[in-house]
Amino acid sequence: MGTAIKDNSKIRPNANELLHSKLGVLELKTPLTVASGTFDLENLEFFDPACLGAFVCKTITRLPKKGNPPPRLYETEAGLLNSIGLQNPGLDAFIAEKLPVYQEQLRMPLIVSVSGSSIAEFAEMIETLETCAGISGYEINISCPNVENEGIAFGVSSEIVYKLVHRLSALTQRELCIKLSPNVSDIAEIAQAAEAGKASSIALINSIYGMAIDYRTGRSRIKKGIAGYTGIGIKPVALALTHKTAQAVNIPILAMGGIYTWQDALEFIWAGASAIAIGTANFINPLAAPELIMGLGKFLLEQQLSISEIKGKAVI
Amino acid sequence: MNNPQYRQRAIQLREELSDDYFLLWIWDEALGAAGKAGQFYDVRALASLKDSQNAGKIPKLFKPISIYDNQGGRIGFMIKKVGEGTAALSELRAGDLLELIGPAGNGFPIFQGKRILLVSGGIGYPPMWYLQKELINHNQIYWMHGGARQGDVFPCDEIWTEDGSIGRHGRVCGGMRENIQKYDIDLIYSCGPMPMLASAAQISQELGIEHYVSLESYMACGIGVCHGCAVPIGTKDDWDYLRVCKEGPVFNAEEVRWELL
Repeated sequence: MGTAIKDNSKIRPNANELLHSKLGVLELKTPLTVASGTFDLENLEFFDPACLGAFVCKTITRLPKKGNPPPRLYETEAGLLNSIGLQNPGLDAFIAEKLPVYQEQLRMPLIVSVSGSSIAEFAEMIETLETCAGISGYEINISCPNVENEGIAFGVSSEIVYKLVHRLSALTQRELCIKLSPNVSDIAEIAQAAEAGKASSIALINSIYGMAIDYRTGRSRIKKGIAGYTGIGIKPVALALTHKTAQAVNIPILAMGGIYTWQDALEFIWAGASAIAIGTANFINPLAAPELIMGLGKFLLEQQLSISEIKGKAVI
Repeated sequence: MNNPQYRQRAIQLREELSDDYFLLWIWDEALGAAGKAGQFYDVRALASLKDSQNAGKIPKLFKPISIYDNQGGRIGFMIKKVGEGTAALSELRAGDLLELIGPAGNGFPIFQGKRILLVSGGIGYPPMWYLQKELINHNQIYWMHGGARQGDVFPCDEIWTEDGSIGRHGRVCGGMRENIQKYDIDLIYSCGPMPMLASAAQISQELGIEHYVSLESYMACGIGVCHGCAVPIGTKDDWDYLRVCKEGPVFNAEEVRWELL
C-alpha cells in the first residue's frame, strides 16, 4: 500500500499540546488570560499560575489617576457594575515599583494595559515601556466606559483607531492588542481599522454601559450614575461581538465578557477567539482559572480537538 | 502568610445570638496565627457556589466579615442576616463548609498604657470584641455600644438604643463627650455605620483625641486587586482613594475625608 495508515493511538497529542494557542506574536501555553483590573499577584496565592497563558495588568495611564468617587461597585441580578475610573499610580510609579515585582514573580508573558488621552500620549507611553525589559506585549485600552478622554472618543471612531494603531505599531515588535468597546455601532469596522493599522490582535469586549437604582429612594447605586457592566449578563453580547469581529478580521481575538467556566470558554473559541480572559469570574470563584483550564483540557483531550481546530468553526 | 489565602473550612460550632445575629466558629491554626484584630475574611457558604454550579448558575460575591474572635486556631465570625449573602450564611449549621479568603486588611494598631474608649454601633460590634481582648491587659477600656433596638445590642460597659428599649435612649455618639471627660480618654476606636463613624470622628477631632475607625465598604475582590472599595484618605488638600480591603479597613479617623463620602 502506498499510503501509510494513520495510527491515532501513537500520535495522540496530550492536553498541553491541545491547549496551546497563539495570540499575534505571543505563544500561549494555554489560551487563558485575565481581564485587566480583575486579577493581580494576590490571586496567584490561590492556585498554580501554570494554568494561565499570559498576565494582563491593571490599565496604567501616563499620570497617576485618582479614580472615581465611591460607591464604585454594585452586584446586579446578573453580573457586576463597576465605576473604578482607571485608578492607577501612573506610568513612572508602575515602572519603578510594580514592573520589577512582575519581572521577578511572573512566570508567564506580561501584557501591560495602557490608556491615554491622545495619540501622542499613547505613543509616549509605548516608547517609554519599550525601554523596559520583561514586557511581552501591550493591551491598548481605548474602551474604558468610566473615563472621558478629553472629548476624543478613541474607541468609537475607526479613523482615530487606525491613526492610533498605525502610530503605535511602528514603535514596537511586541504584541499589540487593541481592546475594543462594545458601546459602538459597528465593532467590526473598528476592528478592521485596528487591523489595517497593523495591530497584532484584538481584545474584546470591555464593559457595557450599565446602571442600577435603589427603587425605594431613586438613588443611583453608583456615585457617577452610569457604570461599566461585566459578568454573566454580558456573555451573549460578548459572544455575538466575538463572532462578528472574527468574520471581519484575520488577526487573532482575545475574547472576554462573562466567561466563568470551560464551557463558556469553548463557546468563545467556536465563535472565533484564539484566547479568552476571565474577569468578574475571578471575584466570584477564586479557582475559576484553574477549573476552567482543567475542564477545557479534559474536553479537548477526550474529543481530540485542539484550539486551532475549532477556532471560528461555530455552526450557524 | 502575607497575602490572604483561599480555604474551605467546616463550621465547628454555630451559636444563636439575638434576632438576626449568630456566630460561626471554624478551626484553622495557620489562619488563626496570621489573623489580627480588625482584619476580616471574605466569606461565602460553599453551598452557594456548589448549588449554583450544579444549576448552571453563577453565585454571588463573597461578603467581607470581620474577625470576632481568634484564639489558638479557633476563629469566630459574628454575622447579621441582612442580604442575600448573609441569608445563605444564616442557613449554615455545624459541619457545613465555608469558603474563606483572608485574613485580609491591616487590622487595628495596638497600644499600651492608654485610657481607651471603644464605640461600636450595630454590626460594628464584632471587631471590637476581638480588639478589647488584645487591649485589656495593658490598657483601661470603656466600651459603649449602640443599636436600633434591644436585638442590636450586646455585652459592653454602656448600652444605647435608638428606641430606648434597653440602656440609654438615643444614639451612641451622644454619650461620647461625657465619657471622654469622665474617664480622661486618650485613645478611641470605633466601628459601625458610616454616619455614626463620621459623628464620632467629628467629636474626637474637636477634642484632639487619637481615633482609629474600621470602615465598611462594598467589595468585589476583597484582596486589593479591583479598587472597588476605595475611600478618600489623606489631608484636606492631599488625599487619595485607598482600598478598605488592603490599606484599611482601619484608618486614622482624622485622615478619612468624611466630607467626600
